[in-house]
Amino acid sequence: MDEDQTKEETTFVVDEVSKIIKESVEATIGANAYQHSRVNQWTTSVVEQCLSQLSKLGKPFKYIVTCIIMQKNGAGLQTASTCFWDNSTDGSCAVRWENKSMYCIVSVFGLAI
Amino acid sequence: MTTMEEYNSGSESSFHSEEADGIVKECIEGVVGNDDYSQSLVNKWTAGIVERCLTQLVKQGKPYKYIVTCAVMQKTGAGLHTANSCYWDTTMDGSSTVRWENRTMYCVVSVFAVAIA
Repeated sequence: MDEDQTKEETTFVVDEVSKIIKESVEATIGANAYQHSRVNQWTTSVVEQCLSQLSKLGKPFKYIVTCIIMQKNGAGLQTASTCFWDNSTDGSCAVRWENKSMYCIVSVFGLAI
Repeated sequence: MTTMEEYNSGSESSFHSEEADGIVKECIEGVVGNDDYSQSLVNKWTAGIVERCLTQLVKQGKPYKYIVTCAVMQKTGAGLHTANSCYWDTTMDGSSTVRWENRTMYCVVSVFAVAIA
């Protein structure tokens, strides 16, 4: 049991991070419609909330959080990412969220120290 | 000659975003250059851009882990906002973001470099 717990504490747990991301997005833009004047504030708030929840986990990781908010207008958007890291300890998690007027894509990368 | 060597060994311990900017711009131009936005090719483009950037960065041989992200968006008047936040060692780690566009699309590439202890 002890060995499992120590392993938990030093690996990137995708489900846990995914939950944190979803909560941050819902709390910030959950019920809102796309507004050009507020979107800057929203992206900043989403990444800051995610980051503070992640650092509260207290794991020996460096984190990078990115957030993209795009108005639903028929435009095509494609994103890709690639990483050069340590496969056994590092990980990433991306969450795609949408409501009637916008898309929100949040990615979290965790690199073990 | 000696002064050049001293400068080089000093600069290896922090991330140089200007160098990364140059590398990223070349990779984007090389992959997408003058093409028009194409739904069927965009998947290949984003993958091609991130892989090319990563290969060039790793070739520099610096003690860093890298994360490269790329977003390609068709120009139709839609609004797009991106934000990044990082929890790391501010003295050694760094990032660089390049915004590029042509007639029919926008391309935003971000490079994050995290020092290996």
